[in-house]
Amino acid sequence: MSGDALLRFADAIDRQAAAAEAAPAPAGELHLVTFALDREEYGIPVTQVREVIRVAEITRVPQAPAHVRGVTNLRGRILPVVELRSRLGLEPAEATPRSRIVVVEVADRVLGLLVDAVLQVVKVPVETVAPPPEEVLSADSGYLGGVARWNSRLIILLELEQALLLQE
Amino acid sequence: MSADDNAFRELLDDYVVECLPLAERVADAFVELERLWRAGEPAEELLAATRGTLHTVKGNSAMMGLGPMQELAHALEDLTLRRGESVAAMLVEGAGLLVEQVRAAASGGDAALSAAFIGRARELPVEDPAAPAAAPERRRADRRAGDGAGNVVRVDFRRLDTLLEVLGEGLIEHSAVVEAFRAVSRRVGAVEELGDLDRAVVALEKTMKRLESVVMSTRLLPISTVFGRFPRLLRDIARGQEKPVRLALAGGDTSLDKAVLDRLGEPLLHLLSNAVVHGIEGTDERRRAGKPEEAVLELSAASHSGRVVIRLADDGRGLDEAKILAKAEAMGIELRSAEPAQVRSLIFLPGFSTAERVSPLAGRGVGLDVVAGSIHALGGTIEVDSRPGHGTTFTLDLPLTLAIVRSLIVEVDRERYAVPISLVAETVRAAPETIHEINRRGVTLWRGDLIHVSDGGALLGTPRAEAGPRRFYIVISSGGRRRAVLVDRLVGHQDVVVKGLDPTLGRPEVVSGTTILGDGRIACILDAMRILDQRVPA
Repeated sequence: MSGDALLRFADAIDRQAAAAEAAPAPAGELHLVTFALDREEYGIPVTQVREVIRVAEITRVPQAPAHVRGVTNLRGRILPVVELRSRLGLEPAEATPRSRIVVVEVADRVLGLLVDAVLQVVKVPVETVAPPPEEVLSADSGYLGGVARWNSRLIILLELEQALLLQE
Repeated sequence: MSADDNAFRELLDDYVVECLPLAERVADAFVELERLWRAGEPAEELLAATRGTLHTVKGNSAMMGLGPMQELAHALEDLTLRRGESVAAMLVEGAGLLVEQVRAAASGGDAALSAAFIGRARELPVEDPAAPAAAPERRRADRRAGDGAGNVVRVDFRRLDTLLEVLGEGLIEHSAVVEAFRAVSRRVGAVEELGDLDRAVVALEKTMKRLESVVMSTRLLPISTVFGRFPRLLRDIARGQEKPVRLALAGGDTSLDKAVLDRLGEPLLHLLSNAVVHGIEGTDERRRAGKPEEAVLELSAASHSGRVVIRLADDGRGLDEAKILAKAEAMGIELRSAEPAQVRSLIFLPGFSTAERVSPLAGRGVGLDVVAGSIHALGGTIEVDSRPGHGTTFTLDLPLTLAIVRSLIVEVDRERYAVPISLVAETVRAAPETIHEINRRGVTLWRGDLIHVSDGGALLGTPRAEAGPRRFYIVISSGGRRRAVLVDRLVGHQDVVVKGLDPTLGRPEVVSGTTILGDGRIACILDAMRILDQRVPA
């Protein structure tokens, strides 16, 4: 599924998420939304994703933390937008037509993650997931939940609570 | 003529275009009012609408720095609260003057004419003792409250919050409609059909204003709901301290938005216990000082021009400035001046008031810095005054409501910000030669005083997008404090619906919230109170 198709199926994701909540995925599978940042593919549980939106105007907020890009108007609601690139130590990048905001709900908070592109909704067998190699870990890499090697792809699993909340 | 002059002239033209019809409408309305009053017919609706119009004229005039018009409109607003034939005559005369002044806005208005009228209006005797001199709405509300249980319904406050939210959306959509309408009429020019639309837009504006004031009035509660629990709490505290204290309450009928009241009890209680524990002397000390054994704590509230001022005064020993200075030195705090007010305000710094001693009351370790923080979070200020041996007074200045704030929209480096209009004293065209620099800080002469001028871009950390010097400055002021902020453009004014700052955004010092403008863009709301606080640099 392309990013655009996914956007059209944002509702479908919502439904899937709702369904996933109602009937948890089979114990052997992880239900993920994956997106691109720089050259890598990242995944977060579909249950944390509320919807995917196009990038509209983002208003900068003075003195906000460096990884916060600003706020955007989501149907009358003010949505904080986190620049996931800078949060993960990557160079910030200009938004492109493929850029999306993944609206997530983490610990009762709703916020947007600015990503380079949304890739796919996938079900990944649990046994393909391994902890990240020790060599890449650092003091602030708690947001790395693991790495899935699946169908010759490498999906980095993100712990959003760790990535977004703990460092405040 | 320079670009600046052009920009200002354009703004003035806009002002006249917008306000002249409003002023004329006010004048017509007062003529009608005179008739209605004479005939003994109800005029409340007309009055309410006219007050709204006057308010708009006042706001626009304030924004343009046109003091004579602003004050005149204000005086007329006040006059509409009174009754009688001579009042009506005065209103008609005043509105005529307002029309003239607005028409001649290019000359800045005639302050002497306004002042003369306002003086006469003030001296106008109450001719009919039976006529109500107070706000009629209030009396009506009182009467309604006195009607008994039959007309009172219980409503979950959350539903009022929802109502407010919907109103907020309506206001945003309304300003979107107005903006679109203006754009269209600019392009099309005067077309007959547009006239109808114009009238509809104006009517809609009036209705929205009324809707807003009705919704807001449902949220207002008297501050006595907070004060009410203090006598008992204070008795316990005083007893624990073995200090006889009497609490004198005043202004309990002052109304505030319940959302503000809910967050006011805690800080006020801290101030009260602080006064008993630290402010008021022990019985022996009081006797030696020749004071009555029973100490008096005065807690009062009063409202004026959209804000509420709460005062807490004790008759205790006052602040020990020498001790504060010594402590500041020990804590390594650099003082800009040893001016008493500056020294006293140190007690609001983190760690200042808590470190002294932990009493059973202050046991939770809550210091005055936390109190000040809560007040700032409500968009208010706190100041302290003190006379050694005579007592300490805390003064809190709070907004009536947190929900909808009339704001001036300004632009700095193409970013838009909302500034609460109740804190904007004036907007001024910034001629570069009037801005000076002393010790690398900008200053300018404003109403006879040198005040600090900050660059809006530096304050807000905007990426520089405008070439050349900024064209305007806004003077924000509260209490005795004033500060000017340079901006690129004055965009207009709008009732903005305040949305809080999500915790994800951290704790910015210079903005207190966000709002959605008519075009759907988001603007941050300048924390003018905090910016007035000298601690925010730039």
